[in-house]
Amino acid sequence: MVESSSRAVVGVFTYLDDALEAVKKVKAANFDYRLYSPVPRHEIEDVTYPEKSPVRTVSLISAMTGCAAGWTLAIMCSLDWPMRTSAKNIASIPAFFVPGYEWTILFGGLGTLMAIFVFCRIPTVLRTAGYDPRFSHDKFGVVVACAGKEVDDVKKRMMDSGADEVDVRESL
Amino acid sequence: MEQKHNEISREQDPPVTYAEVNDTVLRMMEPPGTGWFLLLFTCLFLLAIGAASWFYQMWSGFGESGKSHPIGWGTYITNFVFWVGIAHSGTLISAVLYLFRAHFRQPIYRLAEAMTVFAVMTAGLFPIIHLGRPWYALWLMPYPNERALWPNFRSPLLWDVFAVSTYFTISATFFFVGLIPDIAAARDRATTKFRKLLYGVTSLGWRGSHVQWKHYSAAYLIFAAFATPLVVSVHSVVSWDFAMSIVPGWHATIFPPYFVAGAIFSGVAMVVTLIIPLRKAFGLERLITPFHFDAMSKLILVTSGVVSYSYITEFYTAWFSNNTFERFQFWFRPFGEFWVAFWGMTFCNCIFPQLLWIKKLRVNIPFLFILSIFINIGMWLERFNIIFQSLTREFIPAAWGGYNFSWVEVGITVGAFGWFGMWMTLFIKYFPSVAITEIKEVIPPPMRRPSHGHSH
Repeated sequence: MVESSSRAVVGVFTYLDDALEAVKKVKAANFDYRLYSPVPRHEIEDVTYPEKSPVRTVSLISAMTGCAAGWTLAIMCSLDWPMRTSAKNIASIPAFFVPGYEWTILFGGLGTLMAIFVFCRIPTVLRTAGYDPRFSHDKFGVVVACAGKEVDDVKKRMMDSGADEVDVRESL
Repeated sequence: MEQKHNEISREQDPPVTYAEVNDTVLRMMEPPGTGWFLLLFTCLFLLAIGAASWFYQMWSGFGESGKSHPIGWGTYITNFVFWVGIAHSGTLISAVLYLFRAHFRQPIYRLAEAMTVFAVMTAGLFPIIHLGRPWYALWLMPYPNERALWPNFRSPLLWDVFAVSTYFTISATFFFVGLIPDIAAARDRATTKFRKLLYGVTSLGWRGSHVQWKHYSAAYLIFAAFATPLVVSVHSVVSWDFAMSIVPGWHATIFPPYFVAGAIFSGVAMVVTLIIPLRKAFGLERLITPFHFDAMSKLILVTSGVVSYSYITEFYTAWFSNNTFERFQFWFRPFGEFWVAFWGMTFCNCIFPQLLWIKKLRVNIPFLFILSIFINIGMWLERFNIIFQSLTREFIPAAWGGYNFSWVEVGITVGAFGWFGMWMTLFIKYFPSVAITEIKEVIPPPMRRPSHGHSH
């Protein structure tokens, strides 16, 4: 991982295609890398992470849990304190659709939030490898973890790809 | 300049860049001037009037509210439905239009979402105020109390608790998640200690790595998918508060779609009311263009049509039912004691918006501002018509009654606008009220080599 390597080479790019070119080169050489971008782009996903995100599975399971919990709450509470209204069932299925429906969404949404926290590793107070404030503004950044002897090779790959500047930082 | 599809793009002259988006939006958060403080103090003053009125009502008794037989649901429930309606379009704009990839949402959705969250916070106050003894509000919650007494799950009032609280939670979550990358951009530019701390904490350490964006984008889409059924469910459930009863004028199956369309109608109008002064005050003309006003105007026009159709259907159903009480109710509305409210509603919601068929007026900013205020008034009157008019003339004439507004109700109503305004005023100064990331998404990215060139 980037954090455990001895050097971090940070490339700053103005153009997205240059940054992606650099990523392809460092990926081909099996380096650990991280691409920072001010905006999500499908071009970035295609190169860096084409697989499906596991967030979807978490959302589905959370929503199903909420659905079961909403129905269970309404049915169990009604059975525990029966309020007979004319000939209607104590467990009135049509009426209990609303709590079941709302909790499906509530649990699904909160589960998705938890998934963001887990998979995006936030909240965090740790400084992130090679991050530069320009990466939330208008620049793209490629940070590559490497051993000391590999620094020159990585720097060359970055410069050849069109980096505006390349910086080397100590172990992160 | 006529914008075709991509209203904010490099097609503009000069093209909008990532840096310009950051600079323009973050400039709005610079230290406030006199105008902002004046606005904040006005809101606080109105809020103080509302708070004082509420405390007076609690101290002196619920009789101060002006409610008496047969008007059990008065101004407070009217305000509740009004504010839930206002809250509605935020999620429509942020979630539904996101799923439909409607490009006009980008520069306006953040403000619409903020409006949603603060409007639900305002709406949520009214059932509590309406209780008279607000400390019993907890009884609505299904919590295990010492008497093992559970609330009635067959009651639409309890469904409201589920619907509105879910709506608030999901809207607030969706709102906050959307803010995270933009707060990180603000953090990276913050200069004062307070702002560094505020944005450092609230950005949660976001850096915008490819892994973060991947999961974030997937989650955002799912949030939109979860929030979309909420748009339908919340105001449908609110409408069942009325439609599940047998009161003439309330007992109608058309209520859920009618309420949902009305809520979107009033919410979009409120977005227009808020966004026009904001655009002017902060120089957002290059981000919020006539294209956006044209699109919002069309949305207003469509929902006005649906609402007008619903009004006509109510009358037709009352006539066709051959039910004496229903027929009388719908005669009483236009020709009875409160005819001004009915015709005011009809003018504001059905007639005046028809001017939006004229293209020039759809992009005429002063006209839209005036129209949006009329629609806000019209939609408040719609809820007044439904609630007051139906209750004053129920079944037997011996049970009929009138209504006198009390100053306490007026004070609390005014206070609600102060409460809402206070949150909005604080928000626009301390957080990005235009979505930086999403606007950047519609701008083609900087490429050295020619690409397919479309934006997403």
